[in-house]
Amino acid sequence: MKYRITHSTLYQYSQLVGLCQNEARLQPRNFWRQQCQSSRFDISPEPSDFHERNDFFGNRVAYFAIQQAHQRLVVTAVSEVTVFPRQNPDDLANLITWEQVRDQLQVGLGQTQSQSQSQNQQQQQQQDFGDELLNAKLYLLDSPLVSTSAELANYAQSSFLPNRPLVQVVTDLMQRIHVDFTYDPSFTTIATPLSEVLQFRRGVCQDFAHLAIGCLRSLGIAARYVSGYVETQPEQGKQRLVGADASHAWFAVYVPGIGWLEFDPTNNTVPFDQHITLAWGRDYTDVTPLKGIAFGGGQHTLSVSVDVLRLE
Amino acid sequence: MDESAGDIGTQSYATKFGVYDEMVAKEDKVLPHWKHFMGAIATLGSEQLELRRREAQRLLRENGVTYNVYGDTQKLTRPWRLDPIPLLIGSEEWSLIEAGIKQRAELLDLVLKDIYGKQQLLKKGLLPSELVMAHHGFLHPCVGALPPLQRQLIVYSANLARGHNGRMCVVDDRSQAPSGVGYALENRTVMTRVLPDIFRDMQVHRLSGFFKALRKGLMDMAPMKEDPRIVILTPGSLNETYFEHAYLSSYLGFSLVQGDDLTVRDGRVWLKSLDGLQPVDVILRRVDDSFCDPLELRSASRLGVPGLLEAVRRNHVAIANPLGSSVLENPGLLAFLPRLSRYFLNQELLLPSVATWWCGQRRERDFVLQNLERLVIKPINRSSGNYALFGGLLSTQEKELLRAAIIAKPHCYVGQEQVNLSAVPTFIDHHIKPRFAVLRSFAVASGDGYQVMPGGLTRVARQQDDFIVSTQASGISKDTWVLADEPDKPVSLWFQPGRNVVLSAATEPLTSRAANNLFWVGRYLERIKAATRLMRTILHKLTEIRELDDPLNSQCLNMLLCAMTQVTGTYPGFIRDNPAVLKEPQNELLALAKDIHRPGTLAANIQTFTQTAFSIRDVWSQDTWRCVDNIQRRWQQRVVNGDCDQEQLQKNLDDLITGFVAFIGLTSESMTREAGWLMLDSGRRLEHALALIALLRATVVQCHEITLQNQLLEAVLVSTDSLSIYRRRYRSFIQLPMVLELLLMDETHPRSLAYQLHQLSDHIGALPRDSRKGQLSEEERLILRTYTDLRLIKVSELVKVDDDSGVYSELENVLSAMTESLWRLYEVLAQAYFSHSQMPQLMTQTQPEDES
Repeated sequence: MKYRITHSTLYQYSQLVGLCQNEARLQPRNFWRQQCQSSRFDISPEPSDFHERNDFFGNRVAYFAIQQAHQRLVVTAVSEVTVFPRQNPDDLANLITWEQVRDQLQVGLGQTQSQSQSQNQQQQQQQDFGDELLNAKLYLLDSPLVSTSAELANYAQSSFLPNRPLVQVVTDLMQRIHVDFTYDPSFTTIATPLSEVLQFRRGVCQDFAHLAIGCLRSLGIAARYVSGYVETQPEQGKQRLVGADASHAWFAVYVPGIGWLEFDPTNNTVPFDQHITLAWGRDYTDVTPLKGIAFGGGQHTLSVSVDVLRLE
Repeated sequence: MDESAGDIGTQSYATKFGVYDEMVAKEDKVLPHWKHFMGAIATLGSEQLELRRREAQRLLRENGVTYNVYGDTQKLTRPWRLDPIPLLIGSEEWSLIEAGIKQRAELLDLVLKDIYGKQQLLKKGLLPSELVMAHHGFLHPCVGALPPLQRQLIVYSANLARGHNGRMCVVDDRSQAPSGVGYALENRTVMTRVLPDIFRDMQVHRLSGFFKALRKGLMDMAPMKEDPRIVILTPGSLNETYFEHAYLSSYLGFSLVQGDDLTVRDGRVWLKSLDGLQPVDVILRRVDDSFCDPLELRSASRLGVPGLLEAVRRNHVAIANPLGSSVLENPGLLAFLPRLSRYFLNQELLLPSVATWWCGQRRERDFVLQNLERLVIKPINRSSGNYALFGGLLSTQEKELLRAAIIAKPHCYVGQEQVNLSAVPTFIDHHIKPRFAVLRSFAVASGDGYQVMPGGLTRVARQQDDFIVSTQASGISKDTWVLADEPDKPVSLWFQPGRNVVLSAATEPLTSRAANNLFWVGRYLERIKAATRLMRTILHKLTEIRELDDPLNSQCLNMLLCAMTQVTGTYPGFIRDNPAVLKEPQNELLALAKDIHRPGTLAANIQTFTQTAFSIRDVWSQDTWRCVDNIQRRWQQRVVNGDCDQEQLQKNLDDLITGFVAFIGLTSESMTREAGWLMLDSGRRLEHALALIALLRATVVQCHEITLQNQLLEAVLVSTDSLSIYRRRYRSFIQLPMVLELLLMDETHPRSLAYQLHQLSDHIGALPRDSRKGQLSEEERLILRTYTDLRLIKVSELVKVDDDSGVYSELENVLSAMTESLWRLYEVLAQAYFSHSQMPQLMTQTQPEDES
């Protein structure tokens, strides 16, 4: 599936802004089920300083500064992306229980190392696996918006039946969140803590993703936050997906030896070819699509528009 | 030891069983160097030593050596306490400590490079990833952002303590913005003044070599080697160690800046100065790393510079220590250092760390849980209300809570052995007594290796048996004397040019913030002076009335009292429908002198004056600062806290004037006539003009019967310090036209309005500005117009009475127009020079993303 995504943000200020510095994570990254063909920015006023790099998580970041006085800033990113219709390799994953995954993540790296004594190739594989596992362990730890807790573990518990394959555990958890929680944009802001989301059982896609991540980490499973988009046009006879025409968020779970499998609790679905990924990190704070610091400006208003267009 | 030593307590000094004492070590007799020192102070005697101790305190206070205690705005600064007995360290022992500190700095530097570089330690399993990544000091945006330097850890500090086995060990490492070098230097400066002979006899290593190395180390970091500009980044005057920031800035000759003095443009860091933007090459930071860049790090921070990390990434600026270096302060790391030392250096640690068990490993966790009572439990992330717990002091319930917390997140905790501190002789209440001590030592990367300060900052607990040795907990500091085998040669901090080489003089740019503060120091000074003089006149009048109660006198007094309220803006004050206040003015007058919480009073303005001056402590000479300190301290002691009656108030007002005159004299003598002085003096001139106008409007604009008017005019002349000059100049009765001539128009009279405007106009003309030749700036235009308006005035026109209103309306119009122009002038100046600083705001969505 090929898409063109136009993500536009407009800031308007009551007074002049003399200087602003910004960071945008608005360019889709590449990975096994997605290829970004092109991605360009259209920024007005034109930035006097613009620099691209990859961040710690491998996401594409653009730093830019507007150094002339302005009262209006428009940041538009236009990207063309191909999403391959590839399924999660469920059959394989179905064999691994959640306890096995937890224990593998627990194991110190020294041990995985000492096993690799044999041939070079095997050593290399072992090394890669070690790096992957090392990377995954980061997503077990608390992050700015997601702290593990007894409450989260408690909510998650009924999905974590003994010896249940991890994929089934997560699918069940996703379903329960979808059923138990009400989608309510009026309830939360970015600052709403997870404990409140859990208590009042309301929130939006970010909250549901954070919630699932918190549940999984509380039981020793590595989970990360994914930001991106969902395709707007519903297929015939199917219900329109929530989160269209806006940014969207879901989560992914690490299964050793297989990789990261994605789940969308807001829509109770496994992302396939309608989910376009921008970036991933420990939680929202790592992948904020656009943030900036402006000097001056007085009051500001902000409006965002997203258009996801299917090209072929 | 000499019998006569009895009075000072060197004989009765009781070492405790099981405690290592620095003076006697493990032997049962005093170490030779201590014996020598103790002999010397015993000869001085207790009385003398107490005098020297007080002298040291006086010098420290007068030099403004303070330590701020957070959350205590009333007593913002606390004097630094120094014990007259230093910690003595013999040269042989010192070489062991020195080698250990060097090795540790080398090792931590390698660890830092690895964590923010290739992360081999994590990949090889030499450091558990969760130990590093769960620490708040690990800043992932900084990975890959280290500049290409030989060493990353530039300034390093370790707290050392000696266990009862007599071995020095490291209690903790300080790696992000270690404090204490300035205090150590100041302690030394004071010690050499109060015990000069003993200091000379003992052959103590000098400290200046360390500072020279620090300077060089910072210079060498600069991405552009040619004549780099180095700044010290401070969180501001509320920070606990602000004194040291200001002190180092003057000592090393670097500008002291706050976050909003800097800006990032084109990926480079610039200093906002009166002369425009100046490039910055190296930042010695005293701001915690996560606060340094609100764009990429902690977004709520107001102390940092947005875009700073991007500038670092492009290698346009170097920061000491680099952002992210607090990752090395993780106490869990201590458990792994021996292994890392073998891996990197193929050496054992020369200085052991305090025994530490990181709970992220099962065996260690179980050990800690089983031995809670014997251990100190620390979370790896320090935060307020979340610091070390002494297991043995916890209740059963607290222990259970702690146990549960450790089990829930074991990788976030360490258990540590309780450190046994060694005791060191300390002069307490005229006697020498043992107190527990911790030594903070410092190293700096310079040239090919690390240079360790031969000495350091020793801190002792105030109370016996107290193990909490910290400056926040009101400990006492000591100088640290490392003894040399032969006398040390003094090292000059300064670069030595070849003979007959004339260097071009450099001037440090004045930051917009410092300019603003200087301006306001000038304004507060004049505001206080004007109020003081008026109050003094009023007190005279009160005394007069007590002698001769004539209605004219009382009427005049009432006018002056109302003027006092108007000039100081302390409404309602004397201006209200309550004759009692005017009848018994003493209370309100005392309140105007004493009340620190009411804006506009002398006490409140003196406090603001002092705080504003303190926030730019680095621009004042030692003598000037002593003057500020005296003004504030005397007023606080004698008037605010003292039981001050009318007569004493009179005397204190005189002293206050003298104090300010001294301040003005010193600044005129010691400040170069550059932007800083222009700002200070412009603030003074502007405020002087405004205060004079306010006084005239409150007194002489109203027409009065001639005898009352004469009395009032005399009071005005007295309170503007112009009576004698009036007499000399006019040799006549006091009359309004001539008073106005003198106070408004006479350019030769330094108290006149014309003089203030003339000076202002000169100063404004001399301020740095964008060179647009031939065009006047807004502020030049404004002062020119105001000054010309004044000069065009005909005094005879001003004194025409408006019959209907009983007011010299022309005078009133002129004066109110002047006030308005002067206020406008302030706004224009502020716009042009002080407010490069617009307030930053965070722009990000606060509403959920998918709210469509």
